[in-house]
Amino acid sequence: MSFPKRFAARLRGHLWKSRRDRELEEELRFHLDMQFEDNLRLGMSAEEAAYEAMRRFGGIESVKEQHREHRSFASIESLLRDIHYGVRALRNNPAFATVAIVTLALGIGVNATVFTVAKAALFAGFPMVRNNDRILYLSTGRGCCLSYPDFEDWRAQARSFSGMAVVHGTHGVITGNGGAGETYDATEVSAETFRLIGSRPILGRDFARSDEFPDAPPVVILTHSYWATRFAKDPEIIGRTIRMNGVPTTVIGIMPEGFSFPQKQDLWVPLIPTPEVRERDHRDLWFAFGRLAPGATVPGARAEMAGIGRRLGIEYPRTNRGRNLIPAVQTFNQFFFFGNENTIYWSMWGAVFFVLLIACANLANLMLARAIGRSREVSLRIALGASRWRVVRQLLIESFILSGFGGVLGWFIARSGAQAWAVADRGPGMQSWRILDYSLDYRVLAYVTAISIGTALVFGLAPARMLWKLDINARLKDGGRGASGGTRGKRLSGLLVIGEVAAAMVLLAGAGVMVRSFLNVYDANLGVKTANVLTQSLSLSKKSYPLPESRISFYDKVSARLRAVPGVASLALADTIPTRNCSTFPFELSGAPSASGQGRASVAAIIISPNYFRTMEAAVLAGRDFTDFDTASGPPVVIVNERFAGRYWPRQNPLGNRFRLFDGKTPGDWLTVVGVASNIVQNDGTGQEVTPVAYLSFRQKPPAAIEVLARSSLQPENLSIAFRHEILTLDPELPPMRSVSLDERLQVNYWSRGLYGVLLAILAAIGLLLASVGLYAVMAHSVTRRTQEIGIRMAIGATARDVLKIVFEQGMVPLGIGLATGLAASFAVNPVLKSFLVRVSPFDPIAFAVSSFALCFAAMLGCLTPARRAMRVDPVVALRHD
Amino acid sequence: MKPQAADKADVLQGTLVLLVLRTLDALGPLHGYGIARRIEQISKDLLQLNQGTLYPALLRLEQEGWITSKWGASENNRKAKFYSISAGGRKQLARETKDWERMRSTIDRFLGSVPETLAE
Repeated sequence: MSFPKRFAARLRGHLWKSRRDRELEEELRFHLDMQFEDNLRLGMSAEEAAYEAMRRFGGIESVKEQHREHRSFASIESLLRDIHYGVRALRNNPAFATVAIVTLALGIGVNATVFTVAKAALFAGFPMVRNNDRILYLSTGRGCCLSYPDFEDWRAQARSFSGMAVVHGTHGVITGNGGAGETYDATEVSAETFRLIGSRPILGRDFARSDEFPDAPPVVILTHSYWATRFAKDPEIIGRTIRMNGVPTTVIGIMPEGFSFPQKQDLWVPLIPTPEVRERDHRDLWFAFGRLAPGATVPGARAEMAGIGRRLGIEYPRTNRGRNLIPAVQTFNQFFFFGNENTIYWSMWGAVFFVLLIACANLANLMLARAIGRSREVSLRIALGASRWRVVRQLLIESFILSGFGGVLGWFIARSGAQAWAVADRGPGMQSWRILDYSLDYRVLAYVTAISIGTALVFGLAPARMLWKLDINARLKDGGRGASGGTRGKRLSGLLVIGEVAAAMVLLAGAGVMVRSFLNVYDANLGVKTANVLTQSLSLSKKSYPLPESRISFYDKVSARLRAVPGVASLALADTIPTRNCSTFPFELSGAPSASGQGRASVAAIIISPNYFRTMEAAVLAGRDFTDFDTASGPPVVIVNERFAGRYWPRQNPLGNRFRLFDGKTPGDWLTVVGVASNIVQNDGTGQEVTPVAYLSFRQKPPAAIEVLARSSLQPENLSIAFRHEILTLDPELPPMRSVSLDERLQVNYWSRGLYGVLLAILAAIGLLLASVGLYAVMAHSVTRRTQEIGIRMAIGATARDVLKIVFEQGMVPLGIGLATGLAASFAVNPVLKSFLVRVSPFDPIAFAVSSFALCFAAMLGCLTPARRAMRVDPVVALRHD
Repeated sequence: MKPQAADKADVLQGTLVLLVLRTLDALGPLHGYGIARRIEQISKDLLQLNQGTLYPALLRLEQEGWITSKWGASENNRKAKFYSISAGGRKQLARETKDWERMRSTIDRFLGSVPETLAE
């Protein structure tokens, strides 16, 4: 053998040998050397000494062998053997294994789903942002109210941020080659936006500082989806120009798929600080965001920004008077989520833990039943010298195998669940910045791993404890007949069922009130008929329509054209739609003692056209509707709703009374009440509360933005193409906003409530299912155990009905206690949901009653099969049952 | 595993455990060779110990947590593994001693006499 080969062989041998082997070898060599030296000292020759040492030691190789065997026996090999045994045991009992794994998969799956959803809202941020937790959002208000010079000062002075950018939402029209325009949603962003969040265009280039110069050639970066739908992923698009609001604009980049920041949109354009934008009191920007500098902390950034804000307030007293000077420095969750939304995410997370607890209780019960069934075998093993630890370990290994499979399946459930949620969450009218990261990331993986291990411990420990304390003598003596099948085990399994029932009750009661609340919002009487109404928003620019007369004339022309569209039954204008917020003004009644300043009551004011009430299928109850003659030259008139009339002129004829609205401190004209209309809900997204409303004629106060409301005999969506055509014929420059049915626009009021309600209901249904399966398993096991007893009873004359009674009575005890415990727990838990509930108490008796009934029903079903099995027991067979 | 071999090892090990624990308890930390020498000295070579069997036994004792081991320097300054008894090992020693004494008195009663050699 050549030297390199020899060397390689030695090296290999050396590396293959474990450290423990080498240590042992060293220890044995030391032993032999010592013996050898002692032998020399006794006067032996070197040869004799070596031989004698070997002789007294015995077989070195066999010692090594034994040593190795012992070593591996205590560690990996025996573990593998136990795992192998565990898998075989589970395969021998496929029904048990299936039920256990499905139960766990459900428990872990819904848990991971909700974790993924809650993580997106509570801990994560926009998808595809690098180190999301270092991004903070800065504003002096919510979604508005930041001026560019303030932002520049923040950016220049703040040391806590490595960079800062500002964003502003906008929209406009892209016109193709002669084709009709198409609206787009866009965000104007600072040039460093993408660099700050750590994303880059997949094609083309990022914005540069030079793109922000007021005279820079206009550029645009497209979202991947816009590029795909509008330009069919044409890579040649880079460098081409598209007409945006009539201005040729160069496409410079395409962002990665799935990326959108900070809202759902089609494209980005640079935020150009024009002289107008540079005014310190032009507070139009949405918000700024920054990346924390290395080492900077959130509280540190907050303190620094507060200082900067105060300094700016002193420096520019005129523009900052009466304003909140201290910028809010917030995390994604703080900035984009409101208090009761967070509550709902935490509540859902709490709810899935109840589901998981039920799953664990179920599993614990099944394992317990198995452990009891195996206690004789186990006793035998212990008697034959297996250590109790070994036996318990075996059981725990089985638990881990089950929860491992459950966890893997649960992962897949979570993947589909999160996808389903993402689709549902894309519902109509969800805020455009609700871009949540529902990816199953490392956090979800860690979470699934943790709860899988946790559940294995939870459901594995109870039966393990039972085996640990097993009295092997008693078990071996009673011959495994199981009559004394562990009172401890029976008590424990009873407790587990009670816990399951209670947890299911809490879930049901929570889901019940949420669903009731959703139905209240969904079914709310808004005072109008919302079906078959198309809404078309219009927004007139100050530049094209500077005068009130020009706006009125446009509205008149639009109304006339749209009214002529086939299918339109009735058409009106209003500056807002039902339930939406509208401006409120302080007002004073003529002849009433004029309260000055702060003491004045406020009233919501809506600007409408004639026919509004007829179109909405509301009614003018007294007096008259507006007419085309209620113009600026005529006397100022107003229609009030019933609530207004009832509150301010109770038991009087309101017609002819006068009041005036204040714009700040300046009073407007005296308005004469010419009509009283039926109540329509405004200023309340939940559609519950009717407040006083004053309606003004659009001819006397023409707004710059208006909603066209058209009642149709057709599906309202069918009108929208014709509407767009008519509007563009009148004014091709006008950015046509999307036309949407009123129903669809109102969906935002209840959509998320429905979503949360449905999710909780699904969780409750899973909880209920698991609990009833759990009850079934315990009852079935108990019937099996009592077959002999039932046989004897039948032999001495018990009827089938008596047997049924025995089984049901046994099932009803844990049901009753569990139900009572669950109800009590619901009284403690449900107030958490309070902020989210509309017109329903957290202790709603109907929800509680229905939930209890559902639970009892499910429990009955759980008992039914075992009871029927008990009834079919053949006494002759049962008495021989062993 | 051959059953006879296992049985034989078990019996031997049972005695060996007591001897090793007692040795370590009395003399403090010792390396394997030291333990073997000590057992041979005390038993005046009446017990013919196959020194090699000591090492699997030491491993088992360590796994049971009755002894601990640490690498150190021997009297002639070589690297050697030293074993010492743990608190659990002392308890085990007490238990085994008691068992052994009960066994001895039973056997003694059968045989009706106390051999001098074991009185030490």
